[in-house]
Amino acid sequence: MRLLLAIACAAAALSAQTLEQAESLWKQHNYKQANDVFRELVKAHPRNAGYRVRWGQLYFERFQPADAADLFGEALKIDPHNADAFLGLARVAAQNFDSKAPEFALKALEANPRLLAAQELLARLALEDNDPVKAAEEAHKALVMSPDAVQAKAVLATIDWLNDKPETTWDPHTGEAYETAGAIFVLNRRYEEGIRFFRKAIELQPDLWSAHSQLGINLMRLAREDEARAQLEMCFENGYKDKPTVNTLRLMDSYKNFVTYKTDTTVLRLHKKEAELLHPYFETEMRRALTTYEKKYGIKLDRPVQIEVYPDHEDFAVRTMGMPGLGALGVTFGYVVAMDSPSGRPPGTFHWASTMWHELSHVYVLTMTQHRVPRWFTEGLAVHEETAVSPEWGDRLDPHVIAAIKDKKLLPVAELDRGFVRPSYPTQVIVSYFEAGRICDYINREWGWNKLLAMIHDFASGASTPDVIQKELDMTPEQFDKHFLTSLEAETKKTVDGFEDWRKQVMKVAEEARAGKHDEVIRDAVPIRDIYPDYVEPGSVYQFLSDAYLAKGNKPAAIAELQRYAKAGGRSPDTLKQLATLLEEAGNRKEAAEVLDRLNYIQPVDEELHRRLGDLWFALGNTPGAIREYRAVLAQTPTDPATSHFDLAKAYRASNQPAEAEDELLLSLEAAPGFRPAQRMLLELSR
Amino acid sequence: MKALVLLLGAALSVRAATYYVTVSGLGGEPDYEQRFGMWAADIGKILKAGPDSADVHVETLVDGTREQVRAALDRVAKQAQPQDALVLMLIGHGSFDGVEYKINLPGPDLSAAELASLLDRIPASRQLVVNMTSSSGGSIDSLRRPNRVVIAATKTGTEKNATVFARYWVEALRDPAADTDKNDVVSALEAFRYADKKTAAFYESQKRLATEHAVLEDTGKGDAVRAPSPENGEGHLASTFPLLRIGAEANAAKDPARQELRAKKERLEQQIDKLKYDKASMAPEEYRKQLGELLLELARTQEALDK
Repeated sequence: MRLLLAIACAAAALSAQTLEQAESLWKQHNYKQANDVFRELVKAHPRNAGYRVRWGQLYFERFQPADAADLFGEALKIDPHNADAFLGLARVAAQNFDSKAPEFALKALEANPRLLAAQELLARLALEDNDPVKAAEEAHKALVMSPDAVQAKAVLATIDWLNDKPETTWDPHTGEAYETAGAIFVLNRRYEEGIRFFRKAIELQPDLWSAHSQLGINLMRLAREDEARAQLEMCFENGYKDKPTVNTLRLMDSYKNFVTYKTDTTVLRLHKKEAELLHPYFETEMRRALTTYEKKYGIKLDRPVQIEVYPDHEDFAVRTMGMPGLGALGVTFGYVVAMDSPSGRPPGTFHWASTMWHELSHVYVLTMTQHRVPRWFTEGLAVHEETAVSPEWGDRLDPHVIAAIKDKKLLPVAELDRGFVRPSYPTQVIVSYFEAGRICDYINREWGWNKLLAMIHDFASGASTPDVIQKELDMTPEQFDKHFLTSLEAETKKTVDGFEDWRKQVMKVAEEARAGKHDEVIRDAVPIRDIYPDYVEPGSVYQFLSDAYLAKGNKPAAIAELQRYAKAGGRSPDTLKQLATLLEEAGNRKEAAEVLDRLNYIQPVDEELHRRLGDLWFALGNTPGAIREYRAVLAQTPTDPATSHFDLAKAYRASNQPAEAEDELLLSLEAAPGFRPAQRMLLELSR
Repeated sequence: MKALVLLLGAALSVRAATYYVTVSGLGGEPDYEQRFGMWAADIGKILKAGPDSADVHVETLVDGTREQVRAALDRVAKQAQPQDALVLMLIGHGSFDGVEYKINLPGPDLSAAELASLLDRIPASRQLVVNMTSSSGGSIDSLRRPNRVVIAATKTGTEKNATVFARYWVEALRDPAADTDKNDVVSALEAFRYADKKTAAFYESQKRLATEHAVLEDTGKGDAVRAPSPENGEGHLASTFPLLRIGAEANAAKDPARQELRAKKERLEQQIDKLKYDKASMAPEEYRKQLGELLLELARTQEALDK
């Protein structure tokens, strides 16, 4: 027994010493060795939840949240009431804008009602959810626990600052508090003010590397690249190498591969490999959108708007890192827009022009409101703008939205921001975009565009959603929800009610199509086509019908189906090209050209598309169109440069631009001196 | 493509023939069986429909066995003369065990080494082997030989996924755009570049990682390369190897009355080639002026030839 006691004492001493070692190494920023010690410690004491929690906290601090979450989870298996483990999970979830964050924080408080950090986190989460009333309540609870609670004061001070009250009694005057304020301002897309808070944080605490990193990232977002790089490099050199810092530096390194085009109102940054091709399309569309919005929103921007187009989605993702919501296609930071390139997405899945108009709408709304606008409203207006340009643009009613309408999962307008920032189910962000867009459509339809403009101005003055609804629409948010939902349900009733049956019938039609039963396809597909007309994804009813009609030799009917498909917003390049071919065969070259022209907004990285469209425009006498398309062919290093230069020469000649025609002709013959058609034109020009 | 014109000129007196043997191997599943057979059959049809079909001998073996391939190449070995050309095109699946490449055929497979020995017996001095199977890069070491162009759909034997290169090789024979210098002849190099570019575009458009990277070797001693060029010394023989004649050039070549004009045309073409070579060292305006003059003269000469 004495021996056993001695061993136990020795083990306890070793354990205490080892934990101390780990903590000491951690404090000395010797993270690798601290990690090794924790590993040994957990190995030696597999039932000690506390060691695992502490180790998890090290992982969380050193930018490995997934590993941290694993350790917190393991700790909870050992000790299901471990408050620190719940707090750890809450922090990991909060970082990912996961809706479980408040739930974990509450569990932490249940396990330990005096856990200040959990209470402070609840306050911050409420503020992130744009619920300042709840945030203040939670913060005051924290102050009851500890009158010096810095993060609670930071939340209360931030609420005042967000409401443009610079002199707040809550200002805790610490670096970490200002960093919190900066993060909340960025979340509210008030980047300039966020940057100011990060600067204040650094002023008070120069080694607060997380604030340096956030400062750098947000400067980069606003295209102030020199200072951004300096901040981020400083972080890196001081061992602060979290993913956003490292990836942003990497992204900035890749800027050498981009070309920048500037005009008086636009700055366009395109990757070298596609710059020549995309430049005319993007710049033309950008100018068109800016001109339209200038009239529509009634303001003139005081500086050029910058659009960055990323062919590698990973590069684009770095731009959106640490931001809530989808951020899947484009993102706006004040006057800077970052978006995917059409080449970065599978053909037919991305309408770049629709995304561009969406993002540019944000530029106007954010400018008009000085970034004081709820997320739901600016997103809703941007979605509304997509279909305002063309009903064929924008997103379609998708099965997730149908399910949400059916299951009554749409959020009340006063709470709609939550669906963007902290979704409670995986597709809630998509559903929230749809809902916000339809709300703006509804207001526009029922009250007119000027009412939406008035709402923008109300939000600019800091009014809340309920106040703005009450003031402009003369009803409570609850009454608005009722009216809106009645309208939406009436609009979507046929699709929502018929969706299940439609799904079964489509599967049957697909089977029939596979078996080559064309008559059966036509018999069964026609009645279901209009139940869910928005379904234009692969395997659409339109495609089945068109194939069946073609198999039966009925080209006019096939054309009609594909025209319906296009009108409903179908975007498959192959299907639209098929429609263009059928139209051309039917002698309708003008419409064929228009169909192909739509693809320029969807997948312009397609040599064949530009050649075909160039030929059609040329034949139709649209020489500017032909010139643009033939230039696009050449921008893609074509397989047959001689023919491509010759085509362009012909178009220039028809456009009465002889000098350009001659240049292209010589380039054609330089590539193929014996090219007979080009030789003939050369002889004609020389006579 | 000057050397090609000279070769065509040389062909006037000796009536060189081209022997085409196309083999499609085992597909392993209906989709591949159908695809491989279709590509091989398409090649046969295109070659037979050419403007100088009297000088071409086309044999297509769909699902050909090793014995049938041996017999076909033996026939060519007996008929072909040194001035003739041989084009062997292989479609299907291949395998490579780190040492030996084999094309999968019904019954016993055929190794690259055996194929090389069959080809070596053929007297045709110019040979082109287009191995479009998976793992075809593993056959290059065995097939490489002076005066033989070897094209493989994959850069090594370890690229084992089914290939799409053959699809675009067929397209190169069908699409006039493959004739980039517009001399009415698709050379082996032009077809290679066309098919390679289209293959790369296929993977890009599908957002798939490319699992095949075609290569070419035509010096008989170098490494096969992805992008033949004067800098790496590859591609010269391929650029002068007429894979398919598609227009009037062949007929013009057979008309002795136009010899003087043809000689003038060749001189002009050589001058243009030289001028292009000197482009980097010339003032742009001067280059453009001289190029314009030469091209105009060439156009006039061609007009006279076409009358």
